[in-house]
Amino acid sequence: MPVARMLHSVYQLGNPQLRIFRPNWFLTLVRPGKEQPPDTVQFRVPIEMTKYDIKNYLEKIYNVPVGAVRTRIQFGSNKKRNHLNQRVKTPDYKVAYVQLAQGQTFSFPNLFPEKDRVPEEGSLEEIQDKFMEDEKQRQKLDPRRGGVTEWFGL
Amino acid sequence: MYFRNIIILKATPEKCILGNTGNNTSKMAVSLFSGRILTLCKQFQNVFRISSAVKVQHCAQNLTRYQSSHFSEKSSLVASSWSLSISLVGQYRAVHTTISRRGLEEFFDLPENWGESTVKSGAPWTAKQLRTKNSEDLHKLWYVLLKERNMLLTLEQEARRQRLQMPSPERLRKIERSMTRLETVVNERETALRLLQTGQEKSRPGAWRRTLFGYVYWRRFREYAIPWYMNRRYTRKKFFTPPFVQPYIRLRIEKHMRKKSREQRMKRQSLAKLKERFPHMKVPAA
Repeated sequence: MPVARMLHSVYQLGNPQLRIFRPNWFLTLVRPGKEQPPDTVQFRVPIEMTKYDIKNYLEKIYNVPVGAVRTRIQFGSNKKRNHLNQRVKTPDYKVAYVQLAQGQTFSFPNLFPEKDRVPEEGSLEEIQDKFMEDEKQRQKLDPRRGGVTEWFGL
Repeated sequence: MYFRNIIILKATPEKCILGNTGNNTSKMAVSLFSGRILTLCKQFQNVFRISSAVKVQHCAQNLTRYQSSHFSEKSSLVASSWSLSISLVGQYRAVHTTISRRGLEEFFDLPENWGESTVKSGAPWTAKQLRTKNSEDLHKLWYVLLKERNMLLTLEQEARRQRLQMPSPERLRKIERSMTRLETVVNERETALRLLQTGQEKSRPGAWRRTLFGYVYWRRFREYAIPWYMNRRYTRKKFFTPPFVQPYIRLRIEKHMRKKSREQRMKRQSLAKLKERFPHMKVPAA
């Protein structure tokens, strides 16, 4: 997104702290691949963000008490090749492990729980379901024969 | 870039993430009183708010209680005159003074939207709508959009991980558009202010400079800790073209023009050949 980078003046001792008014950093909270302690939250953050930035971001914008932040940079694979046999690089990203303060815990919720969905009226799905049901009904044996097989009898 | 301090909003207009509330015109009318009414409303809400605050905010709450007691003394005097305008503001949707306490849950959608295949969303903010808002509102809206975007990115990643389809992925695009538009509106305002104050149009000053080889480029200025005549690296640079370079510039232009014309000729010839082979071929435009 083309949000202009702010040009800060050269810092002189005693100047006010640098401020960002409209931060264009976007965090992604991810489900940890390896199991983490219950107070640790894993984020994917922009690569130029520092630990202090992450701490301030979460505390000031989200009101989340942050104890400690650990980061690493995940190397994006460049093993893939395109049709010209050139290497294709998937971008690197920074992973932040944020430890919550004040004894808070976090566990990643299930964002896609199984819901018994009712298909919409007249949709393709509904017609398909109906068709399958009818077919099943047709395949069933005649209940008047009392379970006697088809080939038996006149 | 450092990120030591963020100016934060306390009031988040949660309801107006996408699309406006449609009260822009009424806003102009009330704008005169709105500032003072807003504070009044805030104090009202503080009185009625169920105190489910965290320990950290305890002192702040005490403060508000003190203020509210202060307010109740005044209110008997003020109430009669203000009651009408307050009721007017009651219909005004953009004023939300609830402090968001959801914390990390703001990275996820509302729980009733979990597992749905589609989630309804409004239209992105247009620049026209954003221009009617004041800068403070825009600043708040930026954070609302930012949180929404973080939420959507989280959802997208989780869907990718579970190899499922993301519900309503068009929301991401909408948020992006809203944010770019907000940025343009804010930039417009900054430019207008700068033009008034300093007469400069560009936020970063610069000038057209020449290189030694006759190229002209836009050089963006920046601040230095030392004056330019003490800056060795700057004084080494040459921002002029000596006269003996002129013939070479001429040759360069000639080369460029020959290349251009050659390309055009090739294109024309190949097209003519094709036309000869396939007489009924549609000729591509330009």
